[in-house]
Amino acid sequence: MGHVLVYAESRGTDLRKIALEATTAARALADGSGGGEVQAIVFGPPGIEAVAPTLGRYGADVVVVVEAAGFDRYARESIAATVAARAASGYRAILAGFSAQGRDLGPRVAATLDLPIVADVTEIRVDGDALAVQHPGYANKVIVRLRVSGSGAVVTVRPSAFTPVETPRAGRVERMQPAADPGAERVHVNDVIQGVAGGPDLADAPVIISGGRGLKAPENFKLLEDLAGAFGNAAVGATRAVTDEGWRPHSDQVGQTGRQVSPQLYVAVGISGAIQHLAGMRTSRTIVAINKDKEAPIFKVADYGIVGDALEIVPVLTQAVREAKGR
Amino acid sequence: MKIAVCIKRTPDSESRFKIAPSGTGIDETGLKFDIDDFASYAVEVALRLNEKEGAGETVVLAVGPDALQETLRKAMSMGAERAIQLKCDSQPFDGLAVAKALAAELAGGGYDLVLFGKHAFDSSAGIVGTATATLLGIPCVTAVSQLEIAGGRGTARRDLEGVSELVTFSLPAAVTIDEGIARPRYPSLKGIMGAKKKPLEIKPAHLGAIRVVVSSMALPPERPAGRIIGEGPGAVPELVRLLQTEAKVL
Amino acid sequence: MIGSGSPVLFLFILTLAAGFFSLNVQRLAGYLRLGVADPRLDHPWARLKNVLVIAIAQRKILRDPVAGPMHAVIFWGFMVLTVGTVEILIQGIVPGFSVGLFLPHPIYVLYSGSQDLFAVLVAAAVAFAFFRRLVLHPRRLDGDHLAHTDALIILGLIGALMVTLLLSNGLLAVARPGEVGSEKVAAHAIGAAFAGVTAETAMSGARILWWSHVLIVLTFLNYLPYSKHLHVVTSLFNVFFSNTSGPGTRGAMRPMDLEAAAESFGAADVEQLSWKNLLDGYSCTECGRCTAACPANLTGKLLSPRKIIVNTRQRLMEKGPLVSGESMPFAARVLSMVHDEGSAVDSRSPSDIIDHHLLGDYISEEELWACTSCRACVQECPVAIDQLDVINQLRRYLVLSESRFPEEIQPAFESLERNGSPWAFSPADRGAWAEGMQIPTMAELAARGERPDVLFWVGCMGSFDDRAKKITIAFARILQACGIRFAILGQEEHCHGDPARRMGNEYLYQMLAKAAIATLDRYGVTTVVTSCPHCFHQIGNELPDLGGHYEVIHHSTYIERLLQEDRVPLRGEDGRRLTVAYHDSCYLGRYNEIYDAPREAIRRALPVVTVVDPPRSRDRGLCCGAGGGRMWMEETKGKRINAERTEELLATGADTIAVACPFCMTMMTDGVRAAGSDASVLDVAEVVAGQLSV
Repeated sequence: MGHVLVYAESRGTDLRKIALEATTAARALADGSGGGEVQAIVFGPPGIEAVAPTLGRYGADVVVVVEAAGFDRYARESIAATVAARAASGYRAILAGFSAQGRDLGPRVAATLDLPIVADVTEIRVDGDALAVQHPGYANKVIVRLRVSGSGAVVTVRPSAFTPVETPRAGRVERMQPAADPGAERVHVNDVIQGVAGGPDLADAPVIISGGRGLKAPENFKLLEDLAGAFGNAAVGATRAVTDEGWRPHSDQVGQTGRQVSPQLYVAVGISGAIQHLAGMRTSRTIVAINKDKEAPIFKVADYGIVGDALEIVPVLTQAVREAKGR
Repeated sequence: MKIAVCIKRTPDSESRFKIAPSGTGIDETGLKFDIDDFASYAVEVALRLNEKEGAGETVVLAVGPDALQETLRKAMSMGAERAIQLKCDSQPFDGLAVAKALAAELAGGGYDLVLFGKHAFDSSAGIVGTATATLLGIPCVTAVSQLEIAGGRGTARRDLEGVSELVTFSLPAAVTIDEGIARPRYPSLKGIMGAKKKPLEIKPAHLGAIRVVVSSMALPPERPAGRIIGEGPGAVPELVRLLQTEAKVL
Repeated sequence: MIGSGSPVLFLFILTLAAGFFSLNVQRLAGYLRLGVADPRLDHPWARLKNVLVIAIAQRKILRDPVAGPMHAVIFWGFMVLTVGTVEILIQGIVPGFSVGLFLPHPIYVLYSGSQDLFAVLVAAAVAFAFFRRLVLHPRRLDGDHLAHTDALIILGLIGALMVTLLLSNGLLAVARPGEVGSEKVAAHAIGAAFAGVTAETAMSGARILWWSHVLIVLTFLNYLPYSKHLHVVTSLFNVFFSNTSGPGTRGAMRPMDLEAAAESFGAADVEQLSWKNLLDGYSCTECGRCTAACPANLTGKLLSPRKIIVNTRQRLMEKGPLVSGESMPFAARVLSMVHDEGSAVDSRSPSDIIDHHLLGDYISEEELWACTSCRACVQECPVAIDQLDVINQLRRYLVLSESRFPEEIQPAFESLERNGSPWAFSPADRGAWAEGMQIPTMAELAARGERPDVLFWVGCMGSFDDRAKKITIAFARILQACGIRFAILGQEEHCHGDPARRMGNEYLYQMLAKAAIATLDRYGVTTVVTSCPHCFHQIGNELPDLGGHYEVIHHSTYIERLLQEDRVPLRGEDGRRLTVAYHDSCYLGRYNEIYDAPREAIRRALPVVTVVDPPRSRDRGLCCGAGGGRMWMEETKGKRINAERTEELLATGADTIAVACPFCMTMMTDGVRAAGSDASVLDVAEVVAGQLSV
């Protein structure tokens, strides 16, 4: 009791950024509830063990490594069974990131162990016997504070809500056999098609450059890709208007019915700022808008705005960012 | 096919929200409620699957108070054959409790497919679908944008985080639905009139212990007003300076 | 007189002809009974007045400066000559009968001379009609798969009637000069050409021509049920029973009872249309004035108002016999001979006919959705047909019974249901335009126990659309400058549902309209001013059907009144000399006959201005393209309607285009931008507000 289990999400043999965020959150929670251990559980193909030191650096006392060739992808049922088996001994909380994997895994573990579950959380505190969490609900329009009672809980944390902090711990490796065979999944993945090649995913990227109708033609998205390249760690997003037209893939859509993102920096290029789009990015730390209509609603939400023709401004900005990064 | 669609009643997503005087909920005056967006996609998927097959039954379920009945009727006006309200005093925030109530009703019901919306607008949690499937012991595929069923097997396409997956599975199964090609149909007046006569059963919801409750709700702090720093490419140097020094993101 | 020479034979033939005719009339009347009931006996005196003005005085026909007088001559001639025809027919049975037996001689001379004169005039008009149709070939007489066969037969028969009449009288003048008064000038002139013929020969000739004339009359009579010329029987009734020029409000859509447990709503086939729609089908002469005025048609869309009505008739002729069990003899043969491939009567089996529908098999969905409800077709129709009513009934069926409509309007329906506005804006933002203007809301005034003199109904465009908000602000400034005690509903204002109604969604409309009435009545509103003609029309002309009665004034009228009363503080001459082209809004103009107030308001406000009218102005104004729900639809075929109109407005040489409607504002602004012109587009309120001295 008092220990916190954290699911450290990986892709192949690499850790995803969300794993470090969740581990940081777990560390803070464990410290705040009387100093229990943080035990990170990670799944992967042979070689995954190499991530253990990193997890240790971010606060894991123990790193449970579950290694099998079948874990080169997200074997949902096997991973859920294994996490549940590990957690059966009883943890104060089980944490994961609110990523595609975490959204899927959390409820499975909660249902298997009959633990209460809260998702997409931005703050966690201990409140007596209960946990107090905060979650931005209603499309980020209302802050909801929830009280989770009971002797354990599953909590998934919102990407980018917890900044990874290095709090080095032992990171002692334990090996565990999977509780179910990853080859016996009832959902078979037949094909995986990568999206637009290269670059971080919208969920991971600290900087997002997004384009809308104001770019006039699909070819002009090349300018945004150049700008993203200049930042180095940026992803390119799009509004519903342009994904509906087929200029960009549907998975790039930022908005109420698309991806909800919360990067450090969001640059909205040629985007008017319809409510539907704002719902997807309004919690970004810093918002920059470039639009030729100074009355466009996006300027009311942006921290910094430039009025003018995006097609002229973006190349200049790209060059300036390159220079700034070069220093 | 016998398809169950679990829906949720949520307020219109364009609304401006205010906090109720109690501080533990939103002020519902003047709000319009309807089937949650992704759940209505799920209803549409179910209707199309059964239309394609030519036979079958689409049953809609929801957990909550009597205000839900209007929402269930809306689903029936789109074409669902019957509805079940699992009644409790107020819509729970405890996703697992909702899943327990649904699983208790669905178990042994002979459903080939159980559909959910990917997540609901108010909680955005996406808990209920996967949890219910786990409780029922059936496979679960989440965030599906295209779904086909043939010969007791399902083929689904999922778009997540820049990657598309094609998966297959056997029925019975649970699927949570993302926006896809099909727009939820607009009910005709004929459908609306017909829905009034379709069966709507009310049963108590077996939620079990409620362990997640709202302690308070608040509106997010107003973002401080931003500013337009200039016009045209000439404003770029100033922007870069501000991003470096003020916002510290560069 | 000439007479038949064998009254018994003649009576026999007359009875046959009359009998056959009346049987067909009964059958056609029976087909009308397929249609839904529609009471049209209200306001009989107003209806009679319409008949006198539109039908008898040919007011609408005369809108065409060439074909108008031509037809008027033929029609008046027909009326005058009908008296003579009756006389001739009686003379066939009763030798020696004459109208002169009952009339004082001078009146008889007038009558007799009129027969002769009009025969010549009609003959001349018919000759011109042939020339016009065959040589001048006006565009509107073509299209919609219509053949000229029917028209040529009719003209031929009329011409033959005139020729036989004049010739027979001419020969009578030779045979028995005393019997043909000198007032029959033409007859005598013709007689003079046959001066050398013997009296006997002349009399034989006269008799042959008499019989020819009468047989042509009876043949023509029996040809009517198979021809578009049926309108001579039906048009006066059609005008009497029509609502398109009043009585009551013009342009109000047909009320619908949704409580009725109906199998379907709206109309998919002729039995779901009203008998009046079907009578419209009988009365159409295929003149094409409607289609020639249709903004959709003239920019290349499939919609043709004429086709809608012709299809209605064709379908009724196809289905009527099956349903009523009474078919017209020779119908298939004559119809297919005379009406090109438009009638499929010959090729379909009974079960085929039952399986087909007016909607889908005759009239396509694309045609129906192309309509902007501008009412130009209704305005032009000389026999008061309501083409728009049929379009609306079919739209209602598509939406209410089948939920089939262009997918781009579904968000508008959903948004109306959820947000009370056809666009996805939060209701909380409705009053945002008034920030800083200190305009009280009805709620605020009510809390103080006060009421304003007038409610300013802003409308959804005026509340949410960035460009239209400027119009709202301009008008509010004018009201404030004049010290008018007004208020707005603010967040309590929700769409009255007019867009939903125009798009056929009567269910959603009634829900919204009733809610709007409840809000207005809760505050005891009696007087409303609005800057949107759609709101103006809806609140003033259609809400009364649902129990909402308010005095509604359009802002251009309101401004003009204020200017007239000198209540608006204006600046003096500022040296600008504007040329303003005013674009008539359909819902202000054709629907509500407000043409002058906006123009006057501009003239009074601007010290030096030239107001110009484009060629298609006032009740001939060309629609901007946004009405009938088209504001929410994509325009993919042909030329954009707003481009067509913008071209016309810019061609006047004006530097400013003035509008009085936020929809027109959007369309004209887009049009001007697309044309690359730098002409400015201003609302009347903005023109006046720009001249305020405060």
